[in-house]
Amino acid sequence: MVRKLRKSLIWYVFVAPTFILFGLFVAYPTLETFRLSFFQEVATRQEFVGALHYLRLLGNQVFLAALVNTAFLGILFLLIIIPLGFVMASLLNNLRVWPNLFKAIYFLPQITSTVAVALVFSYVFQPNWGLVNGLLRQLGVEPLPLWLAEPRYVLTGSRAAVTILAVWVALGYYMLIFQAGLQAVPAELYDAAVVDGAGPLQTWWLITLPSMRPTFVFLYITGTIEAMSRFSDLWMLGGPAGTPARSLQTIVMYIYQTAFESNDFNLASSAAVILFVVVLLLTMINFRSFLQREFSSQSGG
Amino acid sequence: MATSESVSSARPVTAIRGWLASQRNFQRLQQVIIFIIMVIGAIVMIAPFEWMLATSFSRSANIAMPRIPTFWPADPSVFNYKVAITNLPLVRYYFNSLVVTALTTLGYLFFSSLTGYAFAKGRFVGKSVLFIILLTTLMIPFEVRMIPMYQLMRQLHLSDSYAALILPFISGGFGTFLMRQYISAIPDELIDAARVDGANEWTIYARIILPLCGPALAALTVLSALWRWNDVLWPLLVISDRDLYTITFGLAIAGRSQGIFTGVALATSAIAILPIMILFLFLQRYIIRGIMLTGLKG
Repeated sequence: MVRKLRKSLIWYVFVAPTFILFGLFVAYPTLETFRLSFFQEVATRQEFVGALHYLRLLGNQVFLAALVNTAFLGILFLLIIIPLGFVMASLLNNLRVWPNLFKAIYFLPQITSTVAVALVFSYVFQPNWGLVNGLLRQLGVEPLPLWLAEPRYVLTGSRAAVTILAVWVALGYYMLIFQAGLQAVPAELYDAAVVDGAGPLQTWWLITLPSMRPTFVFLYITGTIEAMSRFSDLWMLGGPAGTPARSLQTIVMYIYQTAFESNDFNLASSAAVILFVVVLLLTMINFRSFLQREFSSQSGG
Repeated sequence: MATSESVSSARPVTAIRGWLASQRNFQRLQQVIIFIIMVIGAIVMIAPFEWMLATSFSRSANIAMPRIPTFWPADPSVFNYKVAITNLPLVRYYFNSLVVTALTTLGYLFFSSLTGYAFAKGRFVGKSVLFIILLTTLMIPFEVRMIPMYQLMRQLHLSDSYAALILPFISGGFGTFLMRQYISAIPDELIDAARVDGANEWTIYARIILPLCGPALAALTVLSALWRWNDVLWPLLVISDRDLYTITFGLAIAGRSQGIFTGVALATSAIAILPIMILFLFLQRYIIRGIMLTGLKG
């Protein structure tokens, strides 16, 4: 027994540093977020207040708006990027000249820091002389859209501008992952389609698209989680409040503002717990529906 | 119009049909169309950067921007760059970014591979429980735990230090998981042979395992470097000392400040962006391969 433990000892040494760091920077902070969310600072003491902060959040228009906004921006982004990324990846996959050059060019915004890109886009969308409106003016568009200065839900408002920005940034990454998936589609499937006399478009729609299911699910799940924790670009463009008129505020920005500008760590912690629960639920729902369908398709055919 | 044109173009249409009937011609046309679409996309990708550069080299951009966007400065000058460099200690920011990114990434590679090796090849009590705990940590976003992390840094008197930017990120669930998967595929015979020769676990780790993990370590380097270099939320919480700003954070603070001149702001952006872009063009094969291996982006 002692010998067995002694032989195990070296493995504990290998595992220990990682788990000590996890304890300090993952486990403790997560539990502390939960604890803080049930307490209230009174004078210098923390007093237990139960679900008070959660009730405060449920009646808080700013928080609810941030929650809805995060979901809205995330859905809008995914609705555009997933089909666009797939079509562009399919095209690039068939291109014989310079495919790697294009891959690199499309990937450029992705390796550039979100902050730098957002800063450049604050000028790109400047209403009077920005790149976009400058080109629109050349095309005779009148009146010119306000983009980042327009908080309403319109096709040329702030939400549209940041969605264009996000799609522009992420396209290269989505194409890359789709291409990896495209190259993994078994060649026999295509051979069979050719034998059956299917045209290229038919093959793409009937063979490629269904074979890409795992890639779609992967990008959809990671995309959802990332959309829920969106912060840097919107903070850069609209500050912690998501100016104009909080049209760009997300949950993480709300948490940041509540904790570090209003100094209400307890309320911010309960918002963080809600973010955690939402992300967890989304992941579980996504995984479950994916796995269920995977099983039913296996038993069905 | 439709009738007259269709009559006159009846011949060309049949001619085009005939031309397309040849498989080679059809494919040639397909290649041209795809190529044109890709070029248009590439222009959209590059145009904002090019416009940024053109504007950053234009001195008059600070006073009045042209109403028609130009992709070449009307009055080329490096004035904005001079102002940007005198305004902000950009060299210092770059140095900070390099120190933080390099140290964090080295730590991340070391701890991920060490613990990954233990989970892949080790035999010890509680291994599966610890592995499940490891997987659980993957589910907890940074944003959920950032408030207590900030408080912890203050309590440890680590705010405004390199340690604050480095320590929380030198180990990670994803890195450990990836290394464990990768090392699991290494045949046991190699390790057993080394053990018979009297090598201890440290030697096996350093001499046998690490040299075989090149692609996985490269992928983790890319991810960790992109994460650290581009992060802004964590520095925003723990760094207020200007001497410790990273280039990304410094650019963010400068860009968000009121009254920064357009030309100067874009010159600062260019200084922050271009070296990384050039580095990417040199390393793009490895970076793209790394991202394809892990499926994650920076």
